[in-house]
Amino acid sequence: MTAVLFILFAGFAVGCAISMIAQRNPLYSAISLIGVFVSLACLYVMLAAPFIAAVQVIIYAGAIMVLVVFVIMLLNVEQEERVPTRLRSLIPIAIGLAAILFAEAAFIIFFVHTSPSTPTGNTSDVGLTSSIGAGLFTSYLLPFEITSLLLLMAIVGAMTLARSGGLLPQSAVVVPGYQVLAKDVLDPHAAPDLTPVVAHTTVEVERLLGLENAPHLRDKG
Amino acid sequence: MEDLKHAAWILAGILVAFFVVMTMVAYTVLAERRVLGFIQGRLGPNRVGPGGFLQPLADLIKFIFKEDIVPDKSTRFVYFLAPVIATTAALMTIVVYPFGPEIHLPFINKTVQLVIARFDIALLYVLGVTSVGVYGVALAGWSSNNKYSLMGGLRSSAQMISYELALGLALIGVILQSGTLDLYSIVEQQAGHLGISGWNIIWAQELGFVIYLISAIAETNRVPFDLPEAETELVAGFHTEYSAMKFALFFLAEYVNMFTVSMLATTLFLGGWNGPFVHQLPWLGVFYFLGKVILFLFLYIWLRGTLPRFRFDQLMSFGWKFLVPAAIINIVITATLQWSPLFDYVSTFLKTPTGLWG
Repeated sequence: MTAVLFILFAGFAVGCAISMIAQRNPLYSAISLIGVFVSLACLYVMLAAPFIAAVQVIIYAGAIMVLVVFVIMLLNVEQEERVPTRLRSLIPIAIGLAAILFAEAAFIIFFVHTSPSTPTGNTSDVGLTSSIGAGLFTSYLLPFEITSLLLLMAIVGAMTLARSGGLLPQSAVVVPGYQVLAKDVLDPHAAPDLTPVVAHTTVEVERLLGLENAPHLRDKG
Repeated sequence: MEDLKHAAWILAGILVAFFVVMTMVAYTVLAERRVLGFIQGRLGPNRVGPGGFLQPLADLIKFIFKEDIVPDKSTRFVYFLAPVIATTAALMTIVVYPFGPEIHLPFINKTVQLVIARFDIALLYVLGVTSVGVYGVALAGWSSNNKYSLMGGLRSSAQMISYELALGLALIGVILQSGTLDLYSIVEQQAGHLGISGWNIIWAQELGFVIYLISAIAETNRVPFDLPEAETELVAGFHTEYSAMKFALFFLAEYVNMFTVSMLATTLFLGGWNGPFVHQLPWLGVFYFLGKVILFLFLYIWLRGTLPRFRFDQLMSFGWKFLVPAAIINIVITATLQWSPLFDYVSTFLKTPTGLWG
């Protein structure tokens, strides 16, 4: 029973991983990666680590990959053209790394087969939520706090990077259907002055941008 | 042999739960049309069978026999995959909800807990599967090769991701209070006097319940948060290009999602199958559970007949600037109460395992 399930999930994981590399369409690669994450989660469940499995699905498949898919969808990346010469110098290194990986796998298989005592399954509670929580808040408290501080810094950093440039003042109200233009769009000399100019109609925007007498510059959409 | 027997039991349970949920979903659709008709001063569908009772069957047959139109230049594989992901993710969570207490089956002489799969991380499993459901919507919008679909898909996934956060944070209050992620134990802990006084909504989780309810409605893309399907702006949102059975799958996923979030609300806040006299008559628990779920489904329909739609920027700022901070405040309140000795005293009084007539 367990062996059948293992072969099923492991096969799915390997298949998705190969498909992720082989696909030309970036969205298909992303979907394959999600497949890899989900089948890895199934394998974690079989290894008596249900908490890790749930977190794997929630964080990797449910949050990070959603962002990746979003970016691919928004940028509308077309199918990448086949460029055989790119990164050719890395091929020997890749072959070497693959050889090391296979050697390690072979070593482990050999080692496990000759080992006299195989650990009995399902006796450990390491993978359970309560033991992970207890570990995080007692013996590993300092690394845990440092990691959370690091994550907080990353969040603040992302906010700062995203807002630099397009920073609107507190008083600015952005309402869909209205145009809000920073002054430096209209007048480069007013760059430090970030008070927005609000226009309520397309005609007004055209006047502000000085497009009334230049119909060829108008957006045809 | 024992393994196979166990697997057979689980399979039987899944089949029964699937059948019950599907039937209830079909009749929720009918009830929605009839109740909306009542709210708007008209009749609603009442011609197929007595009182429109066979309408769901007629709808299903219509969906099966309609022409299936696949838009030109759509991304074929993803276009087919999207409704499959949406439906699978919606249906997968059904197995973890406990819908009744331990009962004795009369003919085969066996005592079983009325939950299909009981495991350590049931609540996290629900959150994980729900978060995968977002792909169905996002990929459907993208693969249709239609700008309304894309806009609808993007809106919808942005909304689902934002409100998932508030939803998850609202659940932490309950987790703090019960100290476990196993849904069956959470329900068991809510037994009390008359089977009512121990409910989490009565003791310290009022704010958490309101936050959960609002984010659950947003999470299922229902009125007043049905931005992805804003007809006047986006035709029908992410499923504009879907027809026949593929559209039916999205439709099904939406209603099954409504059903599962109602079951989660019942399990976590309204005491699941707990109610008066459940200990004497365990079968009553199943009816209490389904009754509470139906109450939530009625609330959904009622809201749809009553409220107008939010604007997208209102929706986003409401989620991020109001619900998320409120959920964090709820966590702080719950943690403080957990720590105070008075709470401990009142809580042991309210949550006596069997209580009066429990």
